[in-house]
Amino acid sequence: MSVMKRRLLLGFGLVITGIYLFPLYWMYVSALKSSRDLFTYPPRFLPHHLVWNVGRVFVQHEMATYLTNSLLIAAGVTIICVVLGTGCARVLARYRNRWVDVALFAVLMMQVLPSSLMVTPLFVGFSEVGLLQSPRLAVILAQVAKVMPFYIVLTRASLGQIPQELEHAAMVDGASRIGAFFRIVLPLARNGILVTGILVFLQSFGEYVYARSMISEDDLQTATVGLSAFLGPNTSDWNGMMTYSAIYVTPILLLFVLLQRRIVSGLTAGALK
Amino acid sequence: MSRMIARFRDGRSFDVTLVTLALAYLFVFAALPMLYTILMSVQKIDMFTLGTLARPFVGLRNYIHVLSMPVAWRVAENTAIFVILSVVFQLVIGLALAIYFRQDFPGAATLRGLFLAGWVMPALVVGAIWRWLLAGDFGVVNYLLGALGLIKGHIFWIADPHVALYSLVIANVWLGIPFNMLLLAVGLAAIPGDVYEAAALDGAGPIQRFLCVTLPMMRATLGAVLSLSIIFTLQQYDLVAALTQGGPSNASNVAQYWSWQLSFETYDIAGGSVVAVFMILVVILVALLYVRSTRLEQSA
Repeated sequence: MSVMKRRLLLGFGLVITGIYLFPLYWMYVSALKSSRDLFTYPPRFLPHHLVWNVGRVFVQHEMATYLTNSLLIAAGVTIICVVLGTGCARVLARYRNRWVDVALFAVLMMQVLPSSLMVTPLFVGFSEVGLLQSPRLAVILAQVAKVMPFYIVLTRASLGQIPQELEHAAMVDGASRIGAFFRIVLPLARNGILVTGILVFLQSFGEYVYARSMISEDDLQTATVGLSAFLGPNTSDWNGMMTYSAIYVTPILLLFVLLQRRIVSGLTAGALK
Repeated sequence: MSRMIARFRDGRSFDVTLVTLALAYLFVFAALPMLYTILMSVQKIDMFTLGTLARPFVGLRNYIHVLSMPVAWRVAENTAIFVILSVVFQLVIGLALAIYFRQDFPGAATLRGLFLAGWVMPALVVGAIWRWLLAGDFGVVNYLLGALGLIKGHIFWIADPHVALYSLVIANVWLGIPFNMLLLAVGLAAIPGDVYEAAALDGAGPIQRFLCVTLPMMRATLGAVLSLSIIFTLQQYDLVAALTQGGPSNASNVAQYWSWQLSFETYDIAGGSVVAVFMILVVILVALLYVRSTRLEQSA
């Protein structure tokens, strides 16, 4: 292919990607615009007077509390998910028989249940057993059930790539099955577990419906619920809303840029198998 | 006892334990609630019976009650439109992008990866951003459409009952494109290059190659991607909450949001459960199609 044609393809590719990512650009620009700039029509595509509202929005909207709660919930979900899901994924990757198919099928069926429907029985059930007294734990328990199937399916794909011979060799050398799992399989699967764990973490960091429905105290609420304060029918604080959004997603986007290559390969390996 | 420990350490019991722990968790926190939804959909639930399992059995009365609401049909229709439009546009745009970025040019893989930035963001934030992009008076989308000569004046995307549903579709398509593109790119990469060469030798043009080689060879992938995007679209609650809250007057309400509204805004938990039962049936049906198409792919 000629150099010229490849350059054209690249140029057009950049344009398409730019159009797709325009909403993100617009979020950042709107966060940095003064309200006068925000309410000019036609809109300015470059900020005219830069305004730095990050500190004000962060304090006024108690983002420290909200983000801490979101972090706690996401961390709790990720830990439980990795501890319970990794072993299950390993075993499901190791054997091929009818029972494994049945188990995988059950896992998949649990994955497709929408949270906004499951929250009704979970809420009623949790209130019956008194779990709503510790609402963040309730959200963690519910969210683990939502993301663990996804974790198991993706981790299974990356664990399946570890040759069983290594494990057998360790056992011939005297390691127990548990020893082989912890000392051979887990270290080799570290990368796959890490990437999938981060995806689970990100999904839980942005969880909304469980937190909104199960947590009533404002002090225990998550960052999504804090954002929803901007989203009433008569929204007008666009600058605050975009600043809040930018503060919230910038760490997520940084993490994504750092791990982009691994996320893409992890997802493609697991998604269709 | 020590034999039992040895069996646990060395035998299959360790493996069985690992699987059982995870499956038991899913059973308690996913399967049981699902069954509980079915139970609640045939019970009379109010403030006094909320704390107990033994509520009065009312048969199908809740179902009749929900289906006799005029909103029910509006919501069903909206859900169908929301799903069909979302899935079609996600698939077409996703496939076009996957094919474009499959061409050989520097940075193609990196650019394709950047699209996933949309996928890692919390859906509620994506909804908030689209709320601003689609704002009626100062929104940039209205401006761009006007500048391109496509519309005159302003479209009130959120407030106008005739277009509110389409604002949900637009945001949901944006959110779903990366995942569709990624999975379709994997499917495309699996088609052997010599099939195209053979087709080209036989005189097939690019369009013919697409219709007679790409599409048939992608059948299993297309099936899987299609069912996955239906499932993800039926799970979409956050965008509705951020953009329209189902309004104005249910013009953009969809079943997964309505079920939540019934339970948590009008405290009609039985009604919410009835809607949930219908939705769970649909979702499981689609999931069965997904399993079938991944089987097809493995055997192909």
